[in-house]
Amino acid sequence: MNTGAKLMVACWSAVSLAGCAATTTQAGVDYDAPDPETGKRTVTIGVGAGGGGRAGSQALDRSQVPAVGEPEALELPGIQDYTMDNGMRVVLVERSALPLVSLELQFRGGGAAHPARQAGLASLVADMVDEGTATRSALDIADAVDLLGASLASSAGYDASQVRLSVLRARFPEALSILADVVMNPSFPEADLERVRRERLARVVQRSDVPAALAEDAFAEVLYGADHPYGASLLGTRESLEALTRDDVAAFHRARYAPGQATLVVAGDLKRAELDSLLAGAFAGWTGSGVDPAPLAGPAPREGRAIYVVDKPGAAQSEVRVGDVAVARDTDAYYPLTVLNTVLGGSFTSRLNAKLREEKGYTYGAGSFFDMRRAPGPFEATAAVATEVTDSAVVDFIREIERMSAETVPADELDRARNYLALRLPQRFESLDDVVRRLAELVTYDVPLDFWAGYVAGVDAVDEAAVMAAAQRMLDPGRMAVVIAGDRSAIEGPLKALGLGPVVVLGGRPVSQE
Amino acid sequence: MPKSVGATPRGTPILSVPFEQRSLSNGLRVVLSHDPAVPVVAVNLWYGVGSRNEPEGRTGFAHLFEHMMFQGSLNVPKNRHFELVERAGGTLNATTWFDRTNYFETVPSHHLELALWLESDRMGWMLPAMDRDKLDNQRDVVKNEKLQRYDNQPYGDWSERLQRLVYPREHPYHHTVIGSMDDLDAATLDDVASFFRTYYVPDNAVLTVAGDFDPARVMDQVERYFGEIPPGGALPPIPGNPELEPLLGSTVRDDVVADVPLPRAIMAFRIPPYDDPGFTTAEVACAVLGTGRASRLYRRLVRERRAAKDVVSYAYPLLSGASMLLVWATGYPGASVTELEAALGEEMEGLADAAEEEVERAVAVLETDLVRSLEQVGERADLLSMFELFFSDPGRLNREVDQLRGVSASDVRRFAAERLGPANRAVVTYRPGGGS
Repeated sequence: MNTGAKLMVACWSAVSLAGCAATTTQAGVDYDAPDPETGKRTVTIGVGAGGGGRAGSQALDRSQVPAVGEPEALELPGIQDYTMDNGMRVVLVERSALPLVSLELQFRGGGAAHPARQAGLASLVADMVDEGTATRSALDIADAVDLLGASLASSAGYDASQVRLSVLRARFPEALSILADVVMNPSFPEADLERVRRERLARVVQRSDVPAALAEDAFAEVLYGADHPYGASLLGTRESLEALTRDDVAAFHRARYAPGQATLVVAGDLKRAELDSLLAGAFAGWTGSGVDPAPLAGPAPREGRAIYVVDKPGAAQSEVRVGDVAVARDTDAYYPLTVLNTVLGGSFTSRLNAKLREEKGYTYGAGSFFDMRRAPGPFEATAAVATEVTDSAVVDFIREIERMSAETVPADELDRARNYLALRLPQRFESLDDVVRRLAELVTYDVPLDFWAGYVAGVDAVDEAAVMAAAQRMLDPGRMAVVIAGDRSAIEGPLKALGLGPVVVLGGRPVSQE
Repeated sequence: MPKSVGATPRGTPILSVPFEQRSLSNGLRVVLSHDPAVPVVAVNLWYGVGSRNEPEGRTGFAHLFEHMMFQGSLNVPKNRHFELVERAGGTLNATTWFDRTNYFETVPSHHLELALWLESDRMGWMLPAMDRDKLDNQRDVVKNEKLQRYDNQPYGDWSERLQRLVYPREHPYHHTVIGSMDDLDAATLDDVASFFRTYYVPDNAVLTVAGDFDPARVMDQVERYFGEIPPGGALPPIPGNPELEPLLGSTVRDDVVADVPLPRAIMAFRIPPYDDPGFTTAEVACAVLGTGRASRLYRRLVRERRAAKDVVSYAYPLLSGASMLLVWATGYPGASVTELEAALGEEMEGLADAAEEEVERAVAVLETDLVRSLEQVGERADLLSMFELFFSDPGRLNREVDQLRGVSASDVRRFAAERLGPANRAVVTYRPGGGS
């Protein structure tokens, strides 16, 4: 069923909160938010720990939160990690509960592996790989994948490009051969490139009318500058898309989609010997080291705090983003920052949502996240708020962020945040796709594959002092950027009156191509 | 985990999700589906109430009420519901739709009783916790939800416009689930109390527990928390008139000039209700048309004719009178919306010559989506609740694949000829133009 037409009205969910806390990390999906971190805990803390009496054996006292038993241990998957002769790394989890196989073939480098002036190239290549190969037309590929009951999808983020496949075990060999063909032999037909380019350009126009997208794009550009890859849209701009050539597409494919840049993460009903023989057949003759992506320079430093307004005349709400360039995924403060963010804006009961939604009623949902990438990614706090309370909401954002480094987090609140992260680990390994995602995200950032085994201990070790130290190091509301897409005529005056910093009006809606 | 119990010539396993059907003496229907593979358990409740039950002047109320269900109950203060589930490492949510409202959480399995306690406390004892401040707060939150998800989105009023065309004034699907701001403003605490007493009763609900639980204890646990909640009275009839002619009788339309950058043509058709066997044919036809890049609309309009930049199709599963099949196509900048609509109309009528291979592909795609969704206990629980509430038949989940495979190309062709022509068509077009 197509989600584009779903009319369900959600009260709240990780999805809807993340939906407004989203950043565009994949060009194919406009609001694909990073998952909040979670985990499992081996020691039960909190709600009425103790022996649960046998149900029905005594009168129920409803005023008491039910006692809980012992958590069941989550068996983390056994991981095989090896390299094929052609240089492709393989990460395999054998799990036979269902007759399914899920995989991600990941390549180092995405939108940050080409200059900002080529914005959109990585995702354009991802869109083009299944638009035809030396022996299969685009329609042949789409038809065959559907008939196999498979799903095959390619995409690019900033730090990696990937092709994902999920299929029944019985159809895995056929599906794998299509995937290999798509990766190894795309023909990039000129006519299809022009059609895809035209669709892209129309999407750029469409995005310019979506307030949340305007705020996201402006936020990235304010933080990183238009010349830094993290400051550029993964989708691309009108200028960059019009300038890209078939040669650019082919060159990026040659450099990135090579076995020397590749890691295959597989989970499912499959043994290593079978997998290796299928891989040898499907990827026969595939060689090459590709080109290692160059390390990214840091962004040019910004002046102190300022408020940036993207004018959207008549907007029904203001899309607010508050934040700064923060940390890379390899930060030594990973756990303190993750716990800190859970308290501040990473869960429904977090401070931002409690204040802006449940207390003030300014918004449908407020949240925050650290988007940790290979190079320092943004910290971003976000909400869509009613136009008339835009200034008040900004004050609350700044105050709640300030409080993280000024006041010790109360023990009970900290405990709730650690539990929330740690106890959710089993849910994050529920499906085969989940297992593949959890491991693939480690591969992207060169994190050791035993990371999840140490996750609970890592979360548990975070105390009040560690949260405070991380906040003081990483959250400085005195120099954050506040970016707002909304009705300038209604919000500019009140924002200036706050005296929180200069109010800068960024160019309004770009002129459409008509 | 669902088990594979056979294979067809195509090699696709037929799923079998284990389940048991029970009930309590107060009328609460219970579905159990045991699977200890991952130490998590889903608790899922469907109430037989949605926007179709809203009286005149209270559109949007079923959804506002759903928000109020998270504002506490006799033994659970405001915010505690979320706090306790999050502290347990669980996830939770609720959704409101035309015919039902659902509430669900997935928690580590040793926290099953926490979820049962929270759900039973608000099913039985929500009203003592209600007050005016909470209602005003959630009214503001819901208004912001409407602003964010509808009013501040391009084409954000399309569903409101389309429902008005497909369903007459007196029909319960004439208005949207999100409703109107004025009606939200008019809602009172008395409305909350009467809605609760009428619809939030155990004999108007289904509880499904799926995943890792103790099969020997689970019914005792359910009985312990839900058993003492008294049943409700007879449900009032659905307001208005749910009866409908099967076809619209003509093409009805709403042509909008709006502050949007790209033209869009949207079409909807009355189709058989969800409990009619004909709905499955509509679902397959819908997938032939618009699901995936090998679908007919994508292939013809996006790839070959290059008349559209994207296409969408969706078959609403609705119970009262008629469901609705929806398609839309978004055009390129500067394109004529009239030509876009004409192209879309041609392709809809063209489905009357649907080929065997197209139908085979569509069935395969629908099967794949179903099988994959069942990997999550939350999804399994949700589908079991739905089939029990709507059809008193959770086992239908295990027959879905057979039902889909029973749809032939001639069924799809007949459906297209009967339903997808100009005599049963509602059209909303958006033409870019000026400021709003």
